[in-house]
Amino acid sequence: MGFLQILTYLSGLVFVIAFGAKLLKYATMPMHVRWELYPIPHEGKEWGGSFYEEIDHWKKVRHKDHMAQYRFMVPEILFIRALREDNRPLWYWSFPFHMGLYLSIGGLVFLGFGAFVQIFGMVPENSALASLFQSLTTVFAVPGYILGTIGALGLIVKRTTDSNLADVTAGIDFMNLIWLGLLFVTGFIVWLQDPGFNVSRAYFQSLLTYGPMKEPMSAIHVVNLLIFIGFWAYFPFTPMTHMVSKYFMWDKVKWDDDPNRGDAGMDSKIKKYLAYPVTWAAVHIDSQGGKKTWADIATTNPWENKDQK
Amino acid sequence: MRPEEISKKTEQLVTIKTEDLAPLPFPYDTYEETPITPLKEEQKKKWEHSLDGVSALTLPKPETPEEEERLVKAFLSGLEKLMTKENNWTFLQPLMLSLEYCAKCQTCADACPAFEMSGRKDIYRPTFRADVLRKIAKKYLSKGGKIFAGFRGHDIDLNWDTIARLAELAYRCTLCRRCASVCPVGVDNGLITHELRKLFSQEMGIAGPEIHEKGSVKHLKFGSSTGMTTAAVADIIEYLEDDIEEKTGKRIKIPLNKKGAEILLIHNAGEFMAWPENPMAFAILFDAAGIDYTLSTDLVGYDAVNYGLWYDDVQFARVALKHIEIARNLGVKKIVIGECGHAHKALSVIADRLLPGAQMIPRESSYTLLNDIVKSGKIKFDPSKNDFPVTLHDPCNAVRLMGIVKPQREVLNAIFPPGRFREMEPHGVENYCCGGGSGFAIMSSGNFPDWKRLVSGRKKLAQILNAFQGEMDPSIKKMVCAPCSNCKGQIRDMLESYEVYEKTGIWYTGLVELMVNAMVDQKKPYIEWPGEDDDDM
Ligand code: SF4
Ligand code: SF4
Repeated sequence: MGFLQILTYLSGLVFVIAFGAKLLKYATMPMHVRWELYPIPHEGKEWGGSFYEEIDHWKKVRHKDHMAQYRFMVPEILFIRALREDNRPLWYWSFPFHMGLYLSIGGLVFLGFGAFVQIFGMVPENSALASLFQSLTTVFAVPGYILGTIGALGLIVKRTTDSNLADVTAGIDFMNLIWLGLLFVTGFIVWLQDPGFNVSRAYFQSLLTYGPMKEPMSAIHVVNLLIFIGFWAYFPFTPMTHMVSKYFMWDKVKWDDDPNRGDAGMDSKIKKYLAYPVTWAAVHIDSQGGKKTWADIATTNPWENKDQK
Repeated sequence: MRPEEISKKTEQLVTIKTEDLAPLPFPYDTYEETPITPLKEEQKKKWEHSLDGVSALTLPKPETPEEEERLVKAFLSGLEKLMTKENNWTFLQPLMLSLEYCAKCQTCADACPAFEMSGRKDIYRPTFRADVLRKIAKKYLSKGGKIFAGFRGHDIDLNWDTIARLAELAYRCTLCRRCASVCPVGVDNGLITHELRKLFSQEMGIAGPEIHEKGSVKHLKFGSSTGMTTAAVADIIEYLEDDIEEKTGKRIKIPLNKKGAEILLIHNAGEFMAWPENPMAFAILFDAAGIDYTLSTDLVGYDAVNYGLWYDDVQFARVALKHIEIARNLGVKKIVIGECGHAHKALSVIADRLLPGAQMIPRESSYTLLNDIVKSGKIKFDPSKNDFPVTLHDPCNAVRLMGIVKPQREVLNAIFPPGRFREMEPHGVENYCCGGGSGFAIMSSGNFPDWKRLVSGRKKLAQILNAFQGEMDPSIKKMVCAPCSNCKGQIRDMLESYEVYEKTGIWYTGLVELMVNAMVDQKKPYIEWPGEDDDDM
């Protein structure tokens, strides 16, 4: 096993652990108080209404239109609808950038399928399935590289020239864009050198089989791989993982309008949180440095009966 | 201006000039604005004002470098607490997500009325205060935060100037959350403002005086943020009954502390003082519809406000639990919240997860109940009695943040002749805040009222004027229906400052007043326009 393979495994490991830890961190945070924001698609009221519009709403069975959530979220993720509607000038660059990423990832997935069937001797020359995977790799990856390059370049220019954005963009943001831009550009050059993705597939196969890499790899391919390996390990530590907030902020915050109807799960959480010690230091809180719990301070009215008229 | 510049050693970071403000529509397109009144020299010496020359908090300047240092440390310790589950289980998850994930696209900026109407002043960008907090957290509270801080974009200095400006800046956002509804990654800058206010209040005892000492403290101490005591409520209610008799010719008994009533109705107590015709109209409608309800005269029980919603989770919980306890003691089946937007959200939504389910009690919006009364046909309305143009203001708390959009519209359509009701643009869940949200409507310290007039209330004024373009002749009387006490207060202040009624004939009122005005049984007009009754002016 070569050095590149070891680096790839390590990078994958870092990604899985760091990204998993991030998901776990947010998934295990306490249930917060409700903080929804309308419209909420599952309410099924296109004007943005909620169950509060109905008299005695607590006596009624709730109907949640789950499909409406997907009807909202799929175009939101694929086409970045919010940006398209509210910030079109940036969307012109952000959309190709993101679409480039999605397509490149799609290309990688089909490359993986191709590598997998290749283990069993199915190669594009002798297998229709392998040939299909090869074609799909190209169909996804190549437009992905082109769109990604256009998007990254456009975003760099936009962030440099638009004063609204320049003031909030830091060196690291440019570095991230350049990093991804280089990944797309070198990927494109690799494809020009190896239009059938044969070397890439062989490399993927070597990763799947823990075996040696049989095909020789060009210098630019090695560079492309190193850029990818570095980015894969770095990515989970950056705000570029904003798909995490896209999931939690919608599903667990903006759309979480589940009323408290006394279900056991919610009750036990609330009881647990009310027993948390409080250390807020302002005088009116009267937390006594953590001696009091939320239940203690919330049920105490420090002013009651004093000076009452 | 980059967020890092908030720490700059300078007398004042930004100046609001009237010529920079976004223009207003006709007939205010040529209007000469009165600039923000500069603070007097002695005020400047006493109060922090180095953000924009405005003091909303009358925040005293520290007297010694040691005091400054102590305050800086307190801020950092508060920020740390904000990020722990024990101290902030209430909002930890959305806060941490919002702090971690801004993609710096500035989509939120164009959605923010304060930023837009100020003439796009960078300090009022939704991301500005969030970025400052983010950068402080990264540099001072995360491991290795100071390494390459400049390159990583969070090299910010934490000094007293930063904190004093941040405290004021926490009170330049109305928590309307319009920014959050357009953010492509879900970041909630309104929430970050909310959390920042909490940090200042819960750790450092710093808050807007009108919402803390004169607000939630008074509420818990005397029973109402207006200072109205439990002993005074019964008298006030009696006056209302007299006034109802005068207006309707009928003596109506407003039930107090009636055990076992179906409904506990809670008004924003400000209505009793500033707009008594609103609780009176509720009494007339509920009487006519045969609703079994009661008001409470228990401490806190006669004032639906909950100012903690805007700045302090503990004060919030204390008031909300009191509301629930009173309703349970009365044995009512539900609480109905009068025309007060933030009270709607406070008690219905935010308080929903404060107690185990068995201890909760259902809460309902008065808009929903009023619409139900209209639909029931128990009261006959004659829309021709409301034969004037009307538009509707959507209180953010009840509409974007609670999803109550249709009932108030259905009521208006039932009590106005066809074609009289027109929407503002945009409206419903995309509405703009009145400019008085998050406590601004009642905050009047320093020269803050000028800032509200010029900046936070400007978009709503523009929307109101736009709703009536083509009918600006003052002889055509026009109404803004604002079914929320705080919004009404802010809209009143704007209409009065700009002499809008005199120049255009636009006035404001609540929803129930318009309903009573259209009642067939109501012989005299219930709505009074300015000048018709000098007491109301
Ligand atoms: S819209 Fe969201 S991601 Fe974009 S700058 Fe504003 S907060 Fe950040
Ligand atoms: S909550 Fe409203 S006022 Fe505050 S930053 Fe967002 S849009 Fe602006």
